[in-house]
Amino acid sequence: MSGVRKVASAVALLAIVAALSLGAAAGGMGPFFDGIRSLGAFYLSTAPPQIAELVLGPSYRGLSSYSPEVVTSIVWDYRGLDTYFETAVFFLAIIGAVAIYRGIEEPVLRRPASGLSPIVRAVTKFLIPINIAVAASIALHGHLTPGGGFQAGAALAVAPIIVIVVFSRRYLLERGVTKLKALFFRSAGLIGIALVVLIPVIWSVISGEWAWVMQNQWKPGAEAFSYPAYLGGALISGSIWFLNLFEFLAVSFGFTILFLLISIDEDTVRSCMIRGGEECDRY
Amino acid sequence: MIDIEVFIKTFIVLALFGTAGVGLYGVVAKPHATKKIISLTILGDTVNALAILLGYRYPGGIPPVYTGQPPNEFVGRAVDPLPQALVLTAIVIGMAVNLLIIYIALQTYRLYGTLDTRLIKKLRG
Amino acid sequence: MITPELALMLIFVSIAFVFAYLAVEERKLIRAVVYSAVQSAAFAFLFYLLGAPDIVLVYVPVTVGIYPAALLFLIRKTEEVENP
Repeated sequence: MSGVRKVASAVALLAIVAALSLGAAAGGMGPFFDGIRSLGAFYLSTAPPQIAELVLGPSYRGLSSYSPEVVTSIVWDYRGLDTYFETAVFFLAIIGAVAIYRGIEEPVLRRPASGLSPIVRAVTKFLIPINIAVAASIALHGHLTPGGGFQAGAALAVAPIIVIVVFSRRYLLERGVTKLKALFFRSAGLIGIALVVLIPVIWSVISGEWAWVMQNQWKPGAEAFSYPAYLGGALISGSIWFLNLFEFLAVSFGFTILFLLISIDEDTVRSCMIRGGEECDRY
Repeated sequence: MIDIEVFIKTFIVLALFGTAGVGLYGVVAKPHATKKIISLTILGDTVNALAILLGYRYPGGIPPVYTGQPPNEFVGRAVDPLPQALVLTAIVIGMAVNLLIIYIALQTYRLYGTLDTRLIKKLRG
Repeated sequence: MITPELALMLIFVSIAFVFAYLAVEERKLIRAVVYSAVQSAAFAFLFYLLGAPDIVLVYVPVTVGIYPAALLFLIRKTEEVENP
């Protein structure tokens, strides 16, 4: 890059920072390091049932989301529709990436397995179950402790990458983690989310009474239907637990598909593209 | 006399703006597609950090997870949970979209043989 | 009054800024990815200090694990050096 262009870039950079700072100094981004907005205070005082009972009195049940984890209860209860359509965007992005690899599939058992040294392999074999257990714990306790479906899905998506790098792509395929199975589990997660959201609607149509979409506890005026807040004495926070579980499936297997595809050997992809895909579809 | 606390707070905000500016500069000025993707992730991360910073309470903010302390203390000290909930989905969805961009870059390389946008611009036919 | 959190935030934000600049200016793309991962790690500590354990849980696997892995796959299959 020539000297003039470098100077121009630096000046433009400074101008961007100055413009952003001006907006912040004029109050355009709200106060920094100062207090809490009233909407945030409302979420904090109604999401945990113990606090909601004190703040709202006996009528708290229709307004609380029955989860001490306020972030997860916003994600799946207060702003549930937002997350629902974010999941739709996620679905479309994955489908777009899979469509680029349409008709390209590496033949199984074509080359001997490669990978890193035996020490690394042994350690990895020990670590992968721990990774899966931690991810499942993050998902299933997402309504009680920091965590939830998105976090657990991202944590589990690391496991196929490690296996592909340390062992090989073939090792993963031989253990039964194929693109088809991953697509199946991802679709199962997405269908589960849709079902959990739509069951109140279906129930409402059948019984003729009111029910709320994306609200995990009953509301005033629609007392008849709600997901259970407690199951066998344990707090499961209504629909939040189910949505966390299904989002965990959708996110983790969605990224597993992407890494199964991006690790396909480039020569295979090129030969498939040149031959028009007919021979590749067989595999 | 300079108030050191105000200085540090201003510095944190300005440094985050500066990082966002660096990311934007990389997206606009760098010619290589991979470098543009790296800059895009930096830009997205910094904007997310700014959103989280908007919800922070100083001094002594605690995470918005109720662990059995007195209710007044929890509501009076916990940070704003709303930016965290929005950023949480933004990170995962942003990752899916960025991976789609990586796939498109890979396909571009297969078709054109280069990822340098200046060279791609000159290609004909 | 300055709490230790504020001082640590200052340090991590500075680290993130420096490594973001290095990542954008580095010509060898693999090094740029590593610098970007260091910047992300600094941001992860920043999120922890800002009282956001949920964000840390999702941010660490995404930006220190998945982004670098995908970008390294991309770089290995395409070009490793950015021409000025």
